[in-house]
Amino acid sequence: MTASRLDLLQGTLDLLILRTLSLGPMHGWGISQRIQQVSEDVLQVNQGSLYPALHRLEEAGWIDSEWGRSPDHNRQAKFYRLTKTGERRLAEETRQWELMTTAVARILASEA
Amino acid sequence: MFKRMRRWFRAVGGGRRLDDQMDQELAFHLDLEAAKLERQGLTPEAARTEARRAFGGVERVREEVRDTRRTSWVDTILRNVRYARRSLGRNPGYTAAVIATLGLGIGANTTMFSVIDGVLLKPLPYANGDRLLLVQHTASQPNFGVSIKELYEYRKQLDSFEGLVEFHQMSFDLIKRGDPNRVAAGVVSANFFDVLRVKPILGRTFQAADAAHGAPAVLLLSNAYWKARFGGDPTIVGQVFEMNDRPHTVVGVLPPVPIYPQESDVYMPTSACPFRARGEEHLAENWKTFSNLRVFGRLKPGVTIEAASAHIATVAAQFTRDHTEAYRDARGFGAAALGLLGELTRNARPMLLILLGATALVLLLACANVASLTLARTLNRDRELALRTALGAGRRQLVGQLLTESVMLGLGGGIAGLLLAAMTQGALGTFIGRFTARAADIGIDGRVLAFTAVVSILTGLAFGALPALVTRPGPASLLRQSGASAGGPRQSRLLRGLVVAQVAVSVVLLAAAGLFMTSLYRLARVDAGYHAERVLAAEIFGNFTRYKEPKDYLRLYKPLLERLSQMPGVQSAAVGTVVPLGQQGQPFLNAFEIQGRSAIGRDRPAADVNVVSTRYFETLGIPIVGGRDFRETDTTESAPVVVINQSMARYWDGADPVGSRVSFDKGEHWFTVVGVTGTVRQYALERDGVAQLFIALNQSPFPAGASVLLRTTVDPVSMTEVVRDTVHSLDPDMPVEHVQTLEALRSNYLAPTRLTAMLLGLFAGVALVVTLAGLTGVLGMSVSQRTQEFGVRMALGAQPGSILTGVVRQGLVMVAIGLAIGGAASMFVGRFFTSYLYETQATDPATFGVLAIALLAAAAVACAGPARRATQVDPMLALRSE
Repeated sequence: MTASRLDLLQGTLDLLILRTLSLGPMHGWGISQRIQQVSEDVLQVNQGSLYPALHRLEEAGWIDSEWGRSPDHNRQAKFYRLTKTGERRLAEETRQWELMTTAVARILASEA
Repeated sequence: MFKRMRRWFRAVGGGRRLDDQMDQELAFHLDLEAAKLERQGLTPEAARTEARRAFGGVERVREEVRDTRRTSWVDTILRNVRYARRSLGRNPGYTAAVIATLGLGIGANTTMFSVIDGVLLKPLPYANGDRLLLVQHTASQPNFGVSIKELYEYRKQLDSFEGLVEFHQMSFDLIKRGDPNRVAAGVVSANFFDVLRVKPILGRTFQAADAAHGAPAVLLLSNAYWKARFGGDPTIVGQVFEMNDRPHTVVGVLPPVPIYPQESDVYMPTSACPFRARGEEHLAENWKTFSNLRVFGRLKPGVTIEAASAHIATVAAQFTRDHTEAYRDARGFGAAALGLLGELTRNARPMLLILLGATALVLLLACANVASLTLARTLNRDRELALRTALGAGRRQLVGQLLTESVMLGLGGGIAGLLLAAMTQGALGTFIGRFTARAADIGIDGRVLAFTAVVSILTGLAFGALPALVTRPGPASLLRQSGASAGGPRQSRLLRGLVVAQVAVSVVLLAAAGLFMTSLYRLARVDAGYHAERVLAAEIFGNFTRYKEPKDYLRLYKPLLERLSQMPGVQSAAVGTVVPLGQQGQPFLNAFEIQGRSAIGRDRPAADVNVVSTRYFETLGIPIVGGRDFRETDTTESAPVVVINQSMARYWDGADPVGSRVSFDKGEHWFTVVGVTGTVRQYALERDGVAQLFIALNQSPFPAGASVLLRTTVDPVSMTEVVRDTVHSLDPDMPVEHVQTLEALRSNYLAPTRLTAMLLGLFAGVALVVTLAGLTGVLGMSVSQRTQEFGVRMALGAQPGSILTGVVRQGLVMVAIGLAIGGAASMFVGRFFTSYLYETQATDPATFGVLAIALLAAAAVACAGPARRATQVDPMLALRSE
């Protein structure tokens, strides 16, 4: 656990999950590994908070789940998949995120 | 949608299964994580521990996931329901009061809806019953139904119908091995049941051959008659009965569906009815012969009712052009096609709608009452609600919670209402049976249940919305200590407004009930022109096959009257073809002319013709106002004489009719008027009696089946067996039917009006009690809120009397405002039903005066309790309480 690993900002976990699932159906462990890998281990997903988030997103109807056989491990796993509303949600959240980061970046730049 | 449902079922039914799946999912994750760590070089045990540590507590995650799941709307509702059940359980008094009040309101509406649904809304119990039309003749004069010839013409000219069929009903004696039974026989076209689309449960219905002239007579039995008389004998088809001196063979039994337009015991094809068959022989010479048919037909597909109706009107107009003589007496003759369903329910519709309006008001009132109860309770729950707010419950959750409670109460009221409706159904069916033949279709079925469910939920939302909307508990109210100070001016104003609204609604109901009762009272006391008390009437009609000539009847009636008048307890005895408010139903009008008076320039006079014996007027207590009564000396040997009533005497334009002569057959036979009697309201109590003419029994030109009338000195009902025995000693096969006192006939006549008034009175009574209870409650709350004020005033020397009148005045002001609003509203509403009232206006001053005084008096009593409590406040205690 090096200092370069960041805790996730509140609310960004949803965005990351949606984005990850936009690549294709995946199970919970796969999602956490994927986020870690792609962020080059900078973002550390707290595995404990992943599952409540997945269930919350499913309740909201943005993702959907299905039990299926995991080809790598040859056993039953729960696969999550982005829904149509989820896709819209992802687009919306992405836009907002970009809006915010640009704004924050501008402020930081002017400060310097 | 489907996904949602699946999730719903999973959430409700499969909590356990969801937990298992989650465990499986988490285990999968841990295994993979451990495997990864093992690959990085850890021992299996260390990898497993590290995986668990990184995960951060399986049990905590599990709990967190469960929490996410619980926030689904289904869980919210379930939690609200559980909470509501506990909360209502803690207040059994409130819960019972609300369920009882709503139960009354919803029960009344459920019952009325089941009736209206069965009678007015449900289609006729035949395939495509809405395609059945009735051919209706209209004319200035009664007895202008469809004649045989007209029916044939309609059949020939109307191509808009699949079939046009006829119906009329007759009473005949059905004889099985010498046991006569008077039956109502429906005489119908051969294809009658095909047009209705009714299939027999045994045997067959009629075929064209059955209606051919001279065909062997056949019968169909109605389901009810088959069961009642023959115990549902499955071998009935093929059995032979005797009727009208001919053998009649049973060919089938009908299913238990109502047969319109009128229920009959047995059905026969037209050729089997001797009267109808005789009419058939006179078709050529008399266009209007046998014009008492009811004709209906089934529209061809694609033809509209309007088109068919227009077609019929055209054909009827052509009748009057081609046969001027036949339609001379029928001013404004016309014909139209009307929906059979609408015609069958025409009499019942206004009463049912008035009663439905009344029950809707009762429900509205119940809602207002329960809303004020609930509001008061919500105010008392101020602290509880504030506590929940402080603990993080949002306003939406609180409102949801309150609405869940009220909808549950609404459903509770709905169940109570259904029980009430189930209990009152039977009595109501009998009541409705007096208005329409459709009473048999009334019942609690899926449609009624759906109605009740919807009404219950709407009721719950309606009475729950108000308290939920005005409740704004902030955490601040927690800090207040005193529970009694709950309820600001806004809420008390609302409570008072609800009381005013309840009073206003009650006043409308009370006014409606009052107007109907006033009308009934006036109608019941109307002088009908005869004395009903201690008179017994019994119908003694011989079958026409044995009583062919007037003298056949004389041979029975003469000795019958002689024997009966000598019986102890009999004051006088007579026979007559007409009994006041008896079975006849409508007058049999015949056009007549007065010798020497021209009828030009006015309607041809017509009178209801009857045959009566001597002492008929004396027995009924009808006064002779001019000339003389019939005498035994008026016989076939002497000049033919008639007695007329005052209503008929009007045709003499003020001249004395006694001594002049009248004729019914354009001067072939003349009758001399010898007397004038008072007018009797023979057929309807509401209207002045029709013009009537009486022929002496001894001189009757036709065989007149009549009723015997006995005025007694004892209870007339006790003479029933005497009459029966005396008749049977003269003719053992003579049926004695409809044995009733004139008072019972009069009472029967008033029964529908009385029942309507009673039902309205019942609703109004319920409304009044509920309203007064609400008044007491609201006033009581206001008194307890003002305890301190009263204490201070008492301490400063106020008299208990002035406090008492102050509180009572507060209550009466609300009642007075409600009375004013309700009074104005009921005068407006009343205009819609004055046509159903007898000599009573919607603004009837007596009714409204009594109503206002009674309401204020009752309200004063309702205020007395809270007012007395206000005077009993102990000043010291009141001051110390804060």
